[in-house]
Amino acid sequence: MLKMHNIRKSFRTDTIETHALRDFNLEVSEGEFVSVTGPSGSGKTTFLNIAGLLETPTGGQYLLDGQDVSGLNDRERSRLRNEKIGFIFQGFNLIPDLNLFDNIDVPLRYRGFNAKERKKRIEKSLEQVGLAARAKHLPAQLSGGQQQRVAIARALAGEPRFLLADEPTGNLDSLMARQVMELLEFINEWGTTIVMVTHDPDLARRAHRNIQIVDGQVSDLHQNALGNEAATA
Amino acid sequence: MFGYYVSLALRSLRGTPVLSALMVAAIAVGVGASMTTLTLNYMMSQNALQHKDDRLYAVQLDSWAPEKAYQNDTQMPWELTYRDAQALLRSDIPSRQVAMHRWGATVSQENSELRPFTAQIRVTTRDFFALFDIPFIYGNTWHKSSDQNPTREVVLSKKTNEKLFNGENSVGRSINLNGEPFTVVGVIEHWNPTPKVYDLNNGAFKNSEEIYMPFGLHRQLQIYSWGNLNGWKSEDISNYEDLLNSHYVWVQYWVELDNEKKKHDYENFLAAYIETQKTKGYFPRPLKFGLTRPSEWLVVNEVLSDDNRILGWLSLAFLLVCVVNAVALLLAKFLRKAPEAGVRRALGASRKAIFSQHLIESGCIGLIGGVMGILLTLLGLSLIRTLQMGRLDQIASMDWVMMLAAIGLAILASLLAGIYPAWRISNTNPSVYLKTQ
Amino acid sequence: MLEIKPILSALWRNKIAALLIALQLALTLAIVSNASVIISDRKEKTARPTGIAVEDIITVNFQPVSQNYDMQTAVAADLDLIRPIPGVVEATHSNHFPLSGSGSASAYYNQPSQETGGEVANYYQVGAEFIQAMGMKLIAGRNFDPSDIQVADLTENRESSVVIVTKQFAEKLFPEGDALGKYIYGDRSSHPIEIIGIVERNLGGWVNWSKAGNAVFFPEMLIAEGNLFMRYLVRTEPGQRDSVFNQLEEKLSQRDPHRVIEMDTIENFLHKSYSRDNTMIKVLSVVIGLLTFIIALGIVGLTTFWINQRRKQIGVRRALGATRAAIGRYFLLENGMIASAGIALGMAAAQIANRMMVESYGQPQLPLPTMLSCALILLIVSLTAALVPALRAANISPATATRNV
Repeated sequence: MLKMHNIRKSFRTDTIETHALRDFNLEVSEGEFVSVTGPSGSGKTTFLNIAGLLETPTGGQYLLDGQDVSGLNDRERSRLRNEKIGFIFQGFNLIPDLNLFDNIDVPLRYRGFNAKERKKRIEKSLEQVGLAARAKHLPAQLSGGQQQRVAIARALAGEPRFLLADEPTGNLDSLMARQVMELLEFINEWGTTIVMVTHDPDLARRAHRNIQIVDGQVSDLHQNALGNEAATA
Repeated sequence: MFGYYVSLALRSLRGTPVLSALMVAAIAVGVGASMTTLTLNYMMSQNALQHKDDRLYAVQLDSWAPEKAYQNDTQMPWELTYRDAQALLRSDIPSRQVAMHRWGATVSQENSELRPFTAQIRVTTRDFFALFDIPFIYGNTWHKSSDQNPTREVVLSKKTNEKLFNGENSVGRSINLNGEPFTVVGVIEHWNPTPKVYDLNNGAFKNSEEIYMPFGLHRQLQIYSWGNLNGWKSEDISNYEDLLNSHYVWVQYWVELDNEKKKHDYENFLAAYIETQKTKGYFPRPLKFGLTRPSEWLVVNEVLSDDNRILGWLSLAFLLVCVVNAVALLLAKFLRKAPEAGVRRALGASRKAIFSQHLIESGCIGLIGGVMGILLTLLGLSLIRTLQMGRLDQIASMDWVMMLAAIGLAILASLLAGIYPAWRISNTNPSVYLKTQ
Repeated sequence: MLEIKPILSALWRNKIAALLIALQLALTLAIVSNASVIISDRKEKTARPTGIAVEDIITVNFQPVSQNYDMQTAVAADLDLIRPIPGVVEATHSNHFPLSGSGSASAYYNQPSQETGGEVANYYQVGAEFIQAMGMKLIAGRNFDPSDIQVADLTENRESSVVIVTKQFAEKLFPEGDALGKYIYGDRSSHPIEIIGIVERNLGGWVNWSKAGNAVFFPEMLIAEGNLFMRYLVRTEPGQRDSVFNQLEEKLSQRDPHRVIEMDTIENFLHKSYSRDNTMIKVLSVVIGLLTFIIALGIVGLTTFWINQRRKQIGVRRALGATRAAIGRYFLLENGMIASAGIALGMAAAQIANRMMVESYGQPQLPLPTMLSCALILLIVSLTAALVPALRAANISPATATRNV
C-alpha cells in the first residue's frame, strides 16, 4: 500500500538547514493498522505530511498503492489525495462555518460526484458514525468526540483505501478516545489501511504494528523488538 | 464547481461582514469615481457623424495674418471668410457642401397666442440636411437657388414645429422672423448630436438650432453671425457689404467627398484657389489648408478639455489606490481563512481549486462593488450636472454601455486585487494549518 | 528606541502587508498633493475680485419682434421706467454683460496708426451711468457725462473720443503710471481717444482669458441695424435684487410687449463662467476626502487583522512584563515606520505626477509646503487609523499566552 525508500526531507531557512527525515524507509501493507510514535521533533508529522501528499520529499522514492508519486504535479497529487487518502487530525479541523453535511460534502465536491451521489454518501457516512440526526448542526455545537467522529465520517465519505490519523485522540478525554479508537479499529477491519501517529503508548500498542521515529529515521531496534513480539505472539 | 465556489464566496462574505463591506466599499468608491469621469469623457468623445467619418471633412483655410498664426504658432482659423466660402461653394467636386453659421431672431406668428421668443437659427446652404444625414418629417430643404438669392424660407426642428404648429405638417405655412414673414418648406426629425460636432466653436455641448434658413439671405437681412467674428487687421468697414468682403472669419464649412480621388481633386482645388488669391494680395501666410474628419475635428477642437483628462487620470489613480486597498484587505481576509484552505487541500483540493475559489470570492466582491459603483456613478454624475449648471445635462448620463463597463471594471479591478492573495493562500503549505498548535 | 530593530524584523516577515499599506499611502499622497495644488489654484482664480457689485446686478437682454423699431426712444423710455423702481440704484445700457462669457475685444495702442505693440482689451459700449450701475470704483479722472454718448453701429468705427479704462490696462499701455489724459488708438487708426477716467478693476467678459482684466469702456449706444437688440444692467440696493427682478420683466413688457425679453443676474453669469473651476474644486475635494477615508479604513482593517494574527505573541509579551503602553507604542511605531516609508515614496511620486501635469496639461507647480503639509496630514491620518487597533492590542490579556487556541 505504502512504500517509502530512502526518503529525505530537509527544511532550509536563511541560515540553517535541518533534516526532518533522512534515509527513511517504511513499508505498509494493504489492510495494516500501523501506529507511529516518537519524541516530538523526531519527524513524525513530516512523515505524515509526505505520506499524505501534503509535502514533497527532498529525495527518495515514495510508492502509494504501487504508484510512484514523486513525479506527479499538484493536480495529480490532489486527485490521489482526494481518492485514496483520508485524514484525521488531533484538532478535528472541521470547517467552522459549514454544518456537518457541508463539511463532509467538501471532499466529495472535489471528487466531482453529482448532488445525488454526494447526498447518499454524506448520509451514509454520518450514519456510520452515529450522527445522522445532526447533519444541519455546526461543529461548534458538538462535543469534541462527536467532532472527531464527523471528521472520521468526512475522511471516509470518499471511501479511501488509506487513512492517516494524526493524534486522533489527543484532544479527547479517555472515554471519548476509546470510542474513537474503536471506530478506527472497526474501519480497519473493513479493509482500510490506517497509519496513526500518536504519543500514547497504550493506543500505539493496539495497532498491528508500531514503528518509532527517532531523529528522522525509523528506529530499527524498536521495529525489530515489536516485530519479534509480533512474531512470538 | 463554479456554483459551489460562488456559494462558498457568499458564505465567506457573510462570515466577515465588516471586512467584506470595507472591500465592497473600496471597489464601489473606486469604480464610482472612475466611472463618473470616464462616463463624462466617453460622452464628450461621442462622434455623431461616425458613420460618415470617411467622407465628411471640415474645411479650414489659413487666411490669417502674415506675422503670426491664428493660435499657438500653427493653428489655422476655425472658420472661413464669407468671400472664401462663396468661392468654395462654386466648386462641383464635393458631392455636398455646407457653408453656415449661427444666428438668432425673434419668432412670432400672426393671430396667435404664442408669446414671441428668440430662436437659435442656423444660416446654411441647402446641403446641410443631406450632408449630416438628417431625415425630414415633412417637406424638404429649399431649392439650390436659395443659397445665392434671398428666399424667405425656413426648415423647422421637430420641437419648434411642435411649439408653433402642434407638430402638424406646417409646410407652406408662415412664421415671422424679426417681424418678417417666412414660409416653412420642411420639418426635420429630432437631431441633437452631443457634442455638437458640426459646430464646436460656439460651445460644444449646446443644443442644435431651432430653425434653419438659406444662406442667400445675408445681404437682405444684414445677418451678423451669433458665433465668433475674428479678424486680424483693421479694414475700413462702413457698411454690411464691406463686412462680407472683409478678412473677418465667421463661416463654418463642411464638404462631403465620396472617395480618395475626389479628396485629392479637392485638395488641388483648394491649393489652386489659395495660389490665385495670393496673386491678388490675400492669404499672406504660407499655403495651408485643412480637411479634417469629424472624429479628428472633435480632437483638434479639444472637446475633451485638459481638466477632463486630469480628472480621468486622477480617477484611475484613485481606482488603483482602491485596488491596492482591496489587495491588502483580501490578503487579510484570506489568510484568516488559511486553516480552512489547509483542510480543503488535505481533503483533495488542488492548488488551482483553492486559487479559483478565492479568485471567485474576489470576483463576487467586485460584482457587488460594481453594482454599488453604478449607484455612486449616478450620484457623481448628478453632482456634475448640478455643478455645471445645465451645461452638461446631456453628457453627464450613463448609457447601458457604461453600466456594463462599470460592472466590468469592478470585476476586473477585484480580480486583479484578488490574484496575489488567492495565489498566496493557494501556495501556503497546508500542513502548517493542520497541526494543532 | 530599542524597539526599532524587532519592529523591522517583524515588518520584514510581513513585508507584503507593510508594502501594501506603504503603497497606498504613496499613491494617496501623490494624488492628494496634486489635487490640492489644483484646488488652491482654482480657488485663487475664482476668488479674484471682479471689480463690480456681482450680487446686486440684474441683466436684461431684449430683441424687438420687428426690426422696424425706434431703439433710441425705447432705451430712453425703458431706463426712465426702471430707475424710479424702489430698490434700483442705477440702470444703464451696454453692448455686453461683464462676466457673461461673451464680449468683444480689440487691440489698442499708445501711438497712432500702429499695427504691432498694442494691448488687447475687452471693449464695452456703455451708457453714461455704467460705472455706477456696475458698482465700479473710479480711482482717477472723471466719469462719463451724458453728452459723451455717441451712437455706434456694428462696424466698429469708433466715434467716441473719450474712454474709461481699467487700472490694469492703463498700466500695460502706460507703464509710467501717467495714463490719465493720454490718448489711445485703434488698430492702424489715427483717431485719438482720450483716457478720461481709470477704474480700479473689471474682469471683463471672459474669466478664463489670459488678459482678463484688460477692459475699456466707450460712451456709446450700439444700434445694430438689422440685428436690433439692447442690453441693460440694473444695479439694486444690496438684498433688493430678487424683488426688483420680479417686477422688472413685467414692467418692461407692459411698456412694450412687442419684444422678447431675457433676464438674468451677473451672479449667475459668474457662477456659470466658473462652473468648470468649481467642478474641479468640488470633485477634487470629494476625491481627497474619499481617498483619505478609504485608506484610513484600509489601515484600520489591516492593522486589526495583523494584530489578531499576533495575539498570542502580544500575550506572551504582556506575560513577560510589557506594559499596555509599550504594546500600544509598538504598533503605533510600526505604523509610523510604514507610513513614513510610504510617504517618502509618495513625495517622489507626487513630484513625478506634478511634472507630467505641468508639462501636458499646463497645471501649476506643486510647491514644497503644500506637499509637506499633505504628507503631514496623511501621517496623522495613518497614525490615528492605527491607534484604534493599537489600543485594542494593548488590552490583550497576558492570559492569552497560556491559553490554547
